[in-house]
Amino acid sequence: MAREFQRGHKAKISDLTAGTDLYVGVQIAGPGLTFDISCFGLDANERLSDDRYFIFFNQPKSPEESIQQLGAQAGDTESFRVTLDSIPAHIQKLSFTAALDGAGQVSQIGPGYIRIVAGGEEVARYSFNGSEFSTERAVMLGDFYLKDVWRFAAVGQGFDGGLEALLKNFGGEVAEEAEAAAPPAAAQAAPGFAPPAGGAPAPSFGAPAAPAPQQPAPDFGPPQGAPPAAPQAPQQPVAPQAPQPQQPTAPQVHNAPTIAAPMAPPPGPVAPPGPPGQPQAPYGQPAPGGFPGQQAPQAPPYGQPAPAPGGYGAPQMQPGQPGQPQAPYGQQPPGAPYPGQAPAVPQGGGPGLGAVLEKYKEAPTGQRWTPQNPKLVRVDLGVDGQPVLAKQGSMVLYQGKVDFSYKGAGFRGRLTGNATGQEMQLMRCAGQGQVFFAENSAHLHPIELQGDAICVSAESVLAFDESLQHEVRRIEGHGIPGGALFTMQFQGTGTIIVKTQGTPVVLPVTPTTFADANAIVAWSAASQVIISSQVSVRRHAYPGHSGETVNLQFRGAPGNFIVVQPYEV
Amino acid sequence: MNQQQMSGYAPTPPAARMENHGNAMVKIAMQSGQDVFARTGSMVAYEGFVQYEPNPPAVRQMASQWLTGEGAPLMKCSGDGLLFLADYGADVVCINLNGESLSVNGTNILAFDAHLQWGVQRVKGMAKFAGQGLFNVGISGTGWVALTSRGTPIVVDCGRGEDETYVDPDALVAWSTNLKMKGKRSFKASSMIGRGSGEAYQLGFSGQGFVVVQPSEDSTDRLRARG
Repeated sequence: MAREFQRGHKAKISDLTAGTDLYVGVQIAGPGLTFDISCFGLDANERLSDDRYFIFFNQPKSPEESIQQLGAQAGDTESFRVTLDSIPAHIQKLSFTAALDGAGQVSQIGPGYIRIVAGGEEVARYSFNGSEFSTERAVMLGDFYLKDVWRFAAVGQGFDGGLEALLKNFGGEVAEEAEAAAPPAAAQAAPGFAPPAGGAPAPSFGAPAAPAPQQPAPDFGPPQGAPPAAPQAPQQPVAPQAPQPQQPTAPQVHNAPTIAAPMAPPPGPVAPPGPPGQPQAPYGQPAPGGFPGQQAPQAPPYGQPAPAPGGYGAPQMQPGQPGQPQAPYGQQPPGAPYPGQAPAVPQGGGPGLGAVLEKYKEAPTGQRWTPQNPKLVRVDLGVDGQPVLAKQGSMVLYQGKVDFSYKGAGFRGRLTGNATGQEMQLMRCAGQGQVFFAENSAHLHPIELQGDAICVSAESVLAFDESLQHEVRRIEGHGIPGGALFTMQFQGTGTIIVKTQGTPVVLPVTPTTFADANAIVAWSAASQVIISSQVSVRRHAYPGHSGETVNLQFRGAPGNFIVVQPYEV
Repeated sequence: MNQQQMSGYAPTPPAARMENHGNAMVKIAMQSGQDVFARTGSMVAYEGFVQYEPNPPAVRQMASQWLTGEGAPLMKCSGDGLLFLADYGADVVCINLNGESLSVNGTNILAFDAHLQWGVQRVKGMAKFAGQGLFNVGISGTGWVALTSRGTPIVVDCGRGEDETYVDPDALVAWSTNLKMKGKRSFKASSMIGRGSGEAYQLGFSGQGFVVVQPSEDSTDRLRARG
């Protein structure tokens, strides 16, 4: 089962698959756009210190072939083979990126994904589309990174420059660091590493052991975990979190514990209120109340103010650390009932109203019958104004000038309908416009008839073109209560919408095709139906035994089919 | 016990305040000070310390305008933790409002941030027909809203043609507030003798905006039916 990743989600590879020989597929495309999809093998400092691990079109594999570019295949625009076992120790992170070649911007892309396939099975997929990006020219799609074990992170960050800028970002000299780091920081609104007040961070935030007190990242340190005067601080292990001046933006992302961190900056720590003496400066957003500072890039999104007890916490934040005079939890207000939940509650804006609803948009017009989604179908009553007959009450929405009127079955129809149970309560939809039909979230299946015929149980009919003739047909057989089964046969040229409860199965008719008379929805009328009562001695054993007494057997030429729903009426 | 088969269903750590867990469940990252109004009875699980206050004063005040007057179907949830809500398997759509406003059918609302501006709106002409006490909540501001829909919803742009868009009130989920709405009764003489088309009442929308419709006309309030 492929796990769907959202932007910012992370997981251990070992949780996804036991294998280490992975196939990474990337699909990204847009009208008129070409992409250079590459993989950067980075060292612990997020630098491309070894050029041989920049895997791109000119260098399709790393020296020991642990990372290979395979080219387009199986629906993927680009694919890689990654053998985690054989990646040398100095490569700590693989960053998969797509950079635009030529004009354009990333917002023009259609739906795309990065996926991981292991052992022939897709185990992870992170999908994205153009609406998540704007004018960027490249995207960092996802990362494999080594933090104790290999992990995968769905990154999905846009990047302003193209491939060169990416390269510079990963490999540029330290002197260019400031510029190189700037665009991503702006574009991604990613981890704010500068406290908002500008200037030096409040010293009480940075762990005193941090290599350089002026470093801009101290708010990644545990805010309450390192009290200002903690004398033991120097003995604390210098955690990977310890800010490193050369690091551009991304590393903190991965050093953070493996829990999802929002790419959009959350407005501030949600944490248990800090001790009174704790300066609030970098966390300047007033937390409760409104939606503070959604835009504030300074928010320390990846800071985990209180580590979850599940072992996520960075080592130096563990409350049990000897010598840590103030365990992080000690700062919870006394009696705080819920210390465990890391309150890093992302509050940041998600995609807006338009983006969320985009995927539910109306399908473009074109044919007369258009399935809108599996449970909703639209008919275009076009210029010819040919009416549609539909089950009463099945209209959910219409646009245009459509008239709904009662469609009687006629006296004879009523009579047969009553007698056979194959009665349809119909309405006629005439006029011009679009009508949407649905009923009770049943799955809908348009079946187009071109002069042939289909038998459908009357209660499974949702709508059909008026041009189709329908009549009640009788299936004879022994052993049926009431003597016969009835069904509705549709014939002619037009479309009929059949509804099923649940996903149906469509079986070709073979010499041995049987179906439960209660679950069968439709069958092509050219196949012959026989009642099969293969009932054993136990038939009369007691009422309500196995119950499968009356089966229908189908016989017909190849090409005939039956439709069965997972629901017995 | 081998939980490998089930481990894929563990909640992902929150990346946004409201997120889908599967398509029929919403996961809300709760935090104190940021309360959420949720449908009474919609909670399926929670982790952490979350308290529920049914019929809180703020809602009670609104409920005076409630058409049925039988008490507000909202509860206030506050605290810290993860809150999971669901409505009998209906699809859940999480929307982040950013200053936009939305009008939602009362039975289709699952949860929303308490700091959003909201109010009960009367659906003109329709309330007396739809038997289950159709109420309608207008929501605006900046924050999160979770809606339910029986089946994958569809979003129809009303401004596409000059014609009005008519919706079966039972299938209506939400619409943008700037649409003009009117009730339409397609009564005919034949309807009086039991020969109606079954589509007697519709809501007509006109103007620029969108309508969200669910592929089901079952708008029974399951959460309330339980009592």
